[in-house]
Amino acid sequence: MSQENLKTDLKDKSGVKPEDSKKLDSSEAGNTDVKSKVTRMIILGPSANISQTELVRKLHMMELPLTVKSTCYGAVINGEEAYVRQAVEKIRKIDSSNIFTKERGFPPGDPRRCRAKRGAAREGYHQLEKEFELLDFVSEALEHPRKVSLEKPKKVPVDVFREVCKEKGKECKK
Amino acid sequence: MKIALFPPNSLILADLVERRGHEPLVIQKEIRKRVTDVEIDSPPLNITEEEPIKGLKYAAIEVPSGVRGRMAIFGPLIDEADAAIIMEDAPFGFGCIGCARTNELTMFCLRKRGIPLLELKYPTTRDETVEVVNKINTFLDSLEEKNG
Repeated sequence: MSQENLKTDLKDKSGVKPEDSKKLDSSEAGNTDVKSKVTRMIILGPSANISQTELVRKLHMMELPLTVKSTCYGAVINGEEAYVRQAVEKIRKIDSSNIFTKERGFPPGDPRRCRAKRGAAREGYHQLEKEFELLDFVSEALEHPRKVSLEKPKKVPVDVFREVCKEKGKECKK
Repeated sequence: MKIALFPPNSLILADLVERRGHEPLVIQKEIRKRVTDVEIDSPPLNITEEEPIKGLKYAAIEVPSGVRGRMAIFGPLIDEADAAIIMEDAPFGFGCIGCARTNELTMFCLRKRGIPLLELKYPTTRDETVEVVNKINTFLDSLEEKNG
C-alpha cells in the first residue's frame, strides 16, 4: 500500500475529524512542530494479561504515525493528539481495568529527563512507583464497582455521647 | 467537565477521571507548554523569570519566588476547573510538586473556589483503595447527573 493510500485508509478507519485531518496533513508535510504533539504513558497494572513486549507490538501493529517507546512499566507514545487518543482507546479495550494511562510533559527520550543521559531514576518515576503498588486494588475496584455515600459521617451530639458513656459504664460495672 | 486534581500529576486520579469521560486538568499539560517551547533549550527549563510575576495573582509578593513560580503553573488549572478532587497525604514529596507550601496554597485555592469538591485521604491498604475508587466514581457520576 502506498503512503498516501495508507494515510487515507487510516483516516477513514480512525474517525478523525476533518479539522484534525487538516492539522495532521500540514504537520506531516514537514512542519515538525513539537508543540502540537502530545505524549502519553501507558502503564500496565500488576495483573495485566499482556506484557510490555506485546503492548509495544500491538501499538506498532496499529500503523499509526506515533513514536512508541518500550519502558519497564509499559510504553510511552508520542504523536498528534488525535492519533494518540485513538491508540489509547484501542489499547484500553485489550484489558480495560488493568491498563492505565496518563499524560507526560516531556517527549520520550528527551535528554533533560531520559535516564540514558542523566542517570538514576527520572523525576516522576518515584510517584509512579508508589501508585503502581495500588494499581491492583484499583483494578479490582473497577471490576466490581458499587455506589457509596459521599457524605461525611455526622458528629455525635454531646448528650447522645454522654448517654452512651453512662450505659457502657453500667455494663462494665455489672 | 474539567476536573482539577491534587496531586496534579497523579496517575490514579487522572486515569479514573478520563474513564468517566471528564477532562483531568493535570500538571503535565502545563509543563508540556513550557518544555516544548523552542526558546527554552537548557535546564532548568520549566520556570522562567516570567512565572513568579504571573504567580502574583495567587500569592503575595512576600511569598518565596519558588511558590509563586509553581503557582503560575497550578493557577491556570485551578481557574479552569469545574470540579476538583483532592487526595491528601499523597506521597508527593518528589519532583515538581515537592513544595509543601505550594501544595497548601493550591488546596486552599481549590476549596475557596466553591466548586464541587471531593476530599480523600491517600489510600494505603486494599480496602481503602477500593473505597477511594468507588467514591471517585460516585462523585464523577453525580457531576454528570447535575449537568444532565
